[in-house]
Amino acid sequence: MKLLTILTASLLPFTALAVKKSSGDRFQQHFAKQLSNAGPLKLDDKLYGDLTKTPRDYSVAVLLTALEARFGCQLCNEFQPEWELLAKQWTRGDRNGEGRLLFGTLDFMDGKGTFQALQLQTAPVLLLFPPTTGPNAKPDNVPQRFDFSSGINKAEPIHSWLVRQLPDIPHPAFVRPINYLMIGIGITAVLGVITFFTVAAPYVLPIIQNRNLWAAISLIAVLLFTSGHMFNHIRKVPYVAQDGRGDVSYFAGGFQNQFGLETQIVAAMYGVLAFATISLALKVPRIANPQTQQIAVVVWGGVILGMYSFLLSVFRVKNGGYPFWLPPF
Amino acid sequence: MNLRVLGLLLALLGAVAALSAQGSKLLVVLEDEAEKSKYSQFWASLEDRGFQVTYKSPKDSSLSLFAYGEPAYSHLLVLPTKAKGLGPNLTPNLIVDFINAGSNILLALSAQLSVPSAVSSLLLELDITLPPDRNSLIVDHFNYDTQSANEQHDVLLLPSPQASRKDVKNYFSVDGLIAFPHTVGQVLGNASPLLSPVVKAPSTAYIYNPKEEFESLEDVFATGSQINIVSAFQARNSARFTVLGSVEALEDKWFDASVQLPGAGKKSEKTANKAFAQKLSAWTFKELGVLRVGSVSHYLNEGSQKGVSNTTAVGAALDINPTIYRIKNDVHYSIEMSEWENDHWAPFTPAAGDALQLEFSMLSPFWRLDLQPTAQTANSSIYSAEFKLPDQHGIFNFFVEYRRPFLTSVEEKRTVTVRHFAHDEWPRSFVISGAYPWIGGIWVTVIGWVIFVAVWLYSKPAQPKRQLKAGNVKR
Amino acid sequence: MAAATTEKTTTGFFFEGETGRNTRGLLRLIILCTIAAAAIASRLFSVIRFESIIHEFDPWFNFRATKYLVQHGFYPFWNWFDDRTWHPLGRVTGGTLYPGLMVTSGVIWKLLRFLTLPVDIRDICVFMAPAFSGLTAFASYLFTSEMSDSPSAGLLAAIFMGIAPGYISRSVAGSYDNEAIAIFLLVFTFYLWIKAVKEGSIMWGALTALFYGYMVSAWGGYVFITNLLPLHAFVLICMGRFSPRLYVSYTTWYALGTLASMQIPFVGFLPIRSSDHMAALGVFGLIQLVGFAEYVRAQMPSKQFQTLLRAMVLVVFALAFGFLVLLTVSGTIAPWSGRFYSLWDTGYAKIHIPIIASVSEHQPTAWPAFFFDLNMLIWLFPAGVYMCFRSLKDEQVFVVIYAVLASYFAGVMVRLMLTLTPVVCVAAAMALSQILDTFLVASTPDEGDANKKPQANGTPAGANGSVDIKQQFANLADGLRSTKAPLVGIYSYLSKSMITGAITAYLLLFVLHCTWVTSNAYSSPSVVLASRLPDGSQHIIDDYREAYYWLRQNTAPNAKVMSWWDYGYQIGGMADRPTLVDNNTWNNTHIATVGKAMSSREEVSYPIMRQHEVDYVLVVFGALLGYSGDDINKFLWMVRIAEGIWPDEVKERDYFTSRGEYRVDDEATPTMRNSLMYKMSYYKYNDLFPAGQAQDRVRGSRLPAAGPELSTLEEAFTSENWIIRIYKVKDLDNLGRSHQEAVAFEKGNKRKKGGAGKRRGPRVLRVD
Repeated sequence: MKLLTILTASLLPFTALAVKKSSGDRFQQHFAKQLSNAGPLKLDDKLYGDLTKTPRDYSVAVLLTALEARFGCQLCNEFQPEWELLAKQWTRGDRNGEGRLLFGTLDFMDGKGTFQALQLQTAPVLLLFPPTTGPNAKPDNVPQRFDFSSGINKAEPIHSWLVRQLPDIPHPAFVRPINYLMIGIGITAVLGVITFFTVAAPYVLPIIQNRNLWAAISLIAVLLFTSGHMFNHIRKVPYVAQDGRGDVSYFAGGFQNQFGLETQIVAAMYGVLAFATISLALKVPRIANPQTQQIAVVVWGGVILGMYSFLLSVFRVKNGGYPFWLPPF
Repeated sequence: MNLRVLGLLLALLGAVAALSAQGSKLLVVLEDEAEKSKYSQFWASLEDRGFQVTYKSPKDSSLSLFAYGEPAYSHLLVLPTKAKGLGPNLTPNLIVDFINAGSNILLALSAQLSVPSAVSSLLLELDITLPPDRNSLIVDHFNYDTQSANEQHDVLLLPSPQASRKDVKNYFSVDGLIAFPHTVGQVLGNASPLLSPVVKAPSTAYIYNPKEEFESLEDVFATGSQINIVSAFQARNSARFTVLGSVEALEDKWFDASVQLPGAGKKSEKTANKAFAQKLSAWTFKELGVLRVGSVSHYLNEGSQKGVSNTTAVGAALDINPTIYRIKNDVHYSIEMSEWENDHWAPFTPAAGDALQLEFSMLSPFWRLDLQPTAQTANSSIYSAEFKLPDQHGIFNFFVEYRRPFLTSVEEKRTVTVRHFAHDEWPRSFVISGAYPWIGGIWVTVIGWVIFVAVWLYSKPAQPKRQLKAGNVKR
Repeated sequence: MAAATTEKTTTGFFFEGETGRNTRGLLRLIILCTIAAAAIASRLFSVIRFESIIHEFDPWFNFRATKYLVQHGFYPFWNWFDDRTWHPLGRVTGGTLYPGLMVTSGVIWKLLRFLTLPVDIRDICVFMAPAFSGLTAFASYLFTSEMSDSPSAGLLAAIFMGIAPGYISRSVAGSYDNEAIAIFLLVFTFYLWIKAVKEGSIMWGALTALFYGYMVSAWGGYVFITNLLPLHAFVLICMGRFSPRLYVSYTTWYALGTLASMQIPFVGFLPIRSSDHMAALGVFGLIQLVGFAEYVRAQMPSKQFQTLLRAMVLVVFALAFGFLVLLTVSGTIAPWSGRFYSLWDTGYAKIHIPIIASVSEHQPTAWPAFFFDLNMLIWLFPAGVYMCFRSLKDEQVFVVIYAVLASYFAGVMVRLMLTLTPVVCVAAAMALSQILDTFLVASTPDEGDANKKPQANGTPAGANGSVDIKQQFANLADGLRSTKAPLVGIYSYLSKSMITGAITAYLLLFVLHCTWVTSNAYSSPSVVLASRLPDGSQHIIDDYREAYYWLRQNTAPNAKVMSWWDYGYQIGGMADRPTLVDNNTWNNTHIATVGKAMSSREEVSYPIMRQHEVDYVLVVFGALLGYSGDDINKFLWMVRIAEGIWPDEVKERDYFTSRGEYRVDDEATPTMRNSLMYKMSYYKYNDLFPAGQAQDRVRGSRLPAAGPELSTLEEAFTSENWIIRIYKVKDLDNLGRSHQEAVAFEKGNKRKKGGAGKRRGPRVLRVD
């Protein structure tokens, strides 16, 4: 009896210990888990609270994300594998957790409470909780927040950001695993192409060496580029735009901007003009019949005149105060 | 910097008689003529030392610190007044402008007359804080004068002030006790490096307001050596501002009073106030601890100029202070420093354990060297250093910055350009052994080609082959 | 070019045989001279309108460098260490510039003095570009004459080149920039190259190399040649047109040209260490292989062996290529230089090198710009390219490649319109001359007799390569479909006169257009702004020079001026004061430092400015005048560049409102309103307006009622129209207070008692 009481009394402290875990072995436990599943911890509200509880002598990087399709968070889904890769490599990097850094992922489905607590409208959000005790502790318990607004969806910037935030812990290097599949595909493709050519050379060569083909290709390229296609490509301009009165406006106002369709119209005009010129220069003098030739000359001359004047009028739209014009338009 | 030195020199010329390094015009602000007689000995000593003393009352409308935008006086001595303020001509802003113009101020306070708010707010700008309630004074139950203040314990008797640090010169040491009656204690903020205490209260002193009754003493404004009795402020332009806690220490009656510490075996002795007052005013009015930079010279310490000791000997051949050096040059830098001692310039030597340092810096110092004393003239000593320029081109500064308590600050910056190697300053290729294979290769190629051409020209190829080749070439 | 056409007809009529040739030669000469005169004359608008002044930004540096050259001589210039820029780092200017331009004008200056014509160096610099544009016209004449056998094509090309706005834009009098001489060198080098390929002579190859070296010394754009010539050679090889001529010319050019280019300190070992130049090296290797293979094949005609040989060549080439890639990856060979790489990966610069993306002339080109710069040539251009396919000689292959590449580059970067213009002129001239030659023939063909002109049918000698390809051609449509029928000619005078008239009209219109564009768009030296008053009279806004001369007159000779890098060269040139950063953006970190100082709070900026010994800060502020090119509009670039280096201290997002707008009014974020740039721009701006009415005419927004306060700076100067504002950096406070406290004290509000933190908190004891 007596002995039992003593026993219980002696046990009490241990029970107390069992209930109240110190931050140290909180880290150990989570880190073991992280090692075992080789990737960020899958969190929910409770785990999150447990992880980010003060005092802690370790730092936690938590990615709050919304992976479910119905949230339509494209960036989240793009970034998730990168994040897991990063966590995996970092964990592998220091197996025995000298850096004392934990990675966690909190999906909106599991962590509504946290999202509300933090008043997060957007996802993903990456929070880094610095340690509050221990060697490299920060006095204030405010997590650092990574800015995804610039559309970053790669692991490298995150890695460098972590390195910056936690200067004096070991930083495992981040190396992207080589994608053997892509390499294989590439090699096979190359080999395939080579074989195809070796086999089909006699049939393909004539086509490749056809001048008309090359002429067409280079003319199209020249027309595309000189009509500002690269501008559309770089600036991502709209194809057409509505003007105020509900109908389509083909030509963007102003000298420095343009629409997709606009450039195509311009390219077409250039094309027509060039073609007319070519016909006048090369085709017409080869027409044996005088009448036909006369008609052709008149037609092509008219086409050039009309097109050119239309081009000028369009340019006057773009650039007010341009003084020159030609009869029809 | 140069301007400051120049100003000093001009001031020096201006005041031949004066012992001050800066100027002799001293303005004393005191309320009424009656008080003037109380300090006759002090005035006498000042006038003996060549100051042209002007006495003005703060109410006096003709009193003005500036004449035509320039300070009208080199020094200002303010005695406490009964009035609540110092009047329209001595507003804190005016006084701050006066300091910024480089003039020195000795401000005396007294616990008998409550300190004007203007003064205390001015002191706050200098990061000196006075007790919040007007007429509280320093009391010490162990170091008081038994003869005059046996009951009040408000006349402090202190030994000669010691230098706060060992590498700081002490300009205020006197032999004998100094009496400070009815002292207003000051507390110095510890942010400002420009402040330095001259006389601290002993550890047993505390600040006490006689108007209050004894119970309310739990919240003391300051105690012990945190209290300053005399404190000195030296602005960045090394204008000096001294606060003396008790004006009575300057009075004649305390100059030749005899005092006695409490306790057995302590006998009555004469105060050292006269000497202390002399030293304090001397320091404040720039008769002591004024540094002057003479010639600063740096030159290339290579080739013909190597190891030239004194720059005057070589003369024209040596070009002093060039504007441009090359990386990895050896250079020599020397600076001439002298210190004003009462009436003449003397060679300056830093205090023991202190050193004059030279920085060679671009954005951050690339070199920081102790300057060694190499020569001495009658009234200056020359410090110099020799070193190799860093392997980094840019615009560098020879920078000597010397700021010490009680010494005027020295800031000498000489800017030079350090250029890169010119195209013809690199070692030639045949000097570099590593280049031999390439040089050899070149010559082998050249010779080989010549030989080939020779062979080609003299060998008659067979006819048919030639034609066939030609045919191929054309095709 | 009316001259050109008439010349054709008259010579056709009156002169025959020997005399005819002489007269034509004389006429050509006269015409070319007139063309050159026209080219020069059309570039003098700015001089006539304003004065003989150096234009916008870079020219000011070139001008300064030239002055240094003529003052101190060549070797000091070669080893020039400039300690008045990039303070305190300085700049190894001699080793980081393209000396061609300065040396050229220096030589001209010396020459004129030798001829006892003491001309001011400034005038030489101002008139350099027009003078060389005349030469360019001549060079393009030579180039085009190589291209087509029509006599008028060259002259047309010359006049086009002379007055095309696309070239004038960078070569008006006063725009003393590298391009001024570089374009002439470009065209002339191409001419020499074509000549070399045609003749297959070492002399022409060596000349090409020589002028290539000159080009390298003159302009960074030489990389264009460095890649275009190898590409031409490569394409020729692929077309099976390898010939000893090609081999000789290419190897000569590459060997000598590379050596020549390596003499420029700024280029140094790049030709063998950077990817930009690897194409040339690779083709050099390839051409050796091919040459060897050709030789061996000539020796032993076994078919299998030949295929084996060809396979071997391919394999070796592949291996070499792989090796190059390996070297690049391993870092032995520097990867593509940022500017050049951003041409291929158009998104690259914006993300990685904001400093390049921030430059306006690195923006992509919209189509109006093309039409604006080369009015009707732009649609004659494709026609001309098509003409090249008619008889696809080696040189015409070159034109085709040049056309496609250059139009791509011009599409990506506005400034590269410059490299496009020559080929456009050439191609257009070829097309137009074809038409003129066809329609300006007096004699009418009578029915039946076909192909009187031998030109333009069938494939000429140059076009056929090795045997098998010939067979392929044989069973293909030979040449172009449009040129299959035999050439007849034009019958009726009506059509002749009609087309001729139309073309003449277009040409006249073109001349009008060029003149108009030049006088309106390209003739203002953005140092002096011109604006029209309501009554139509011209009003000159001269704030820049006002401010720079203020600096020159009122500040110490080596007072450091901090400004955004756009104005570095001008401050150096006009105000002659040291600057922290300038348009030669060689040190990104230093620029980012200035960006940080501009975009941070005063407390952060002040230590930076102290550390860099800044005395004055200069900002450009257009709000009063509605001058949109001011610093507040450039501010985001400063922020971005600073963020690139200090991502945790400067964040672009903090300068946008919660709705992602960039605003300067009440909505502006605190970061924005506390930034030094904002404070300096709007300091005391409200005082110009009745209370609360302050208006920003650029951003078109009403400013907050209370203007910003400055404590660490004090206003030193503001120009007439407030475009330039200069601030002086205060020294540390004499009493060791912070500037805020000092300013507060000046304003007269006293520190409250115990302000030194005595009462609250634990008592801080002083120890000393």
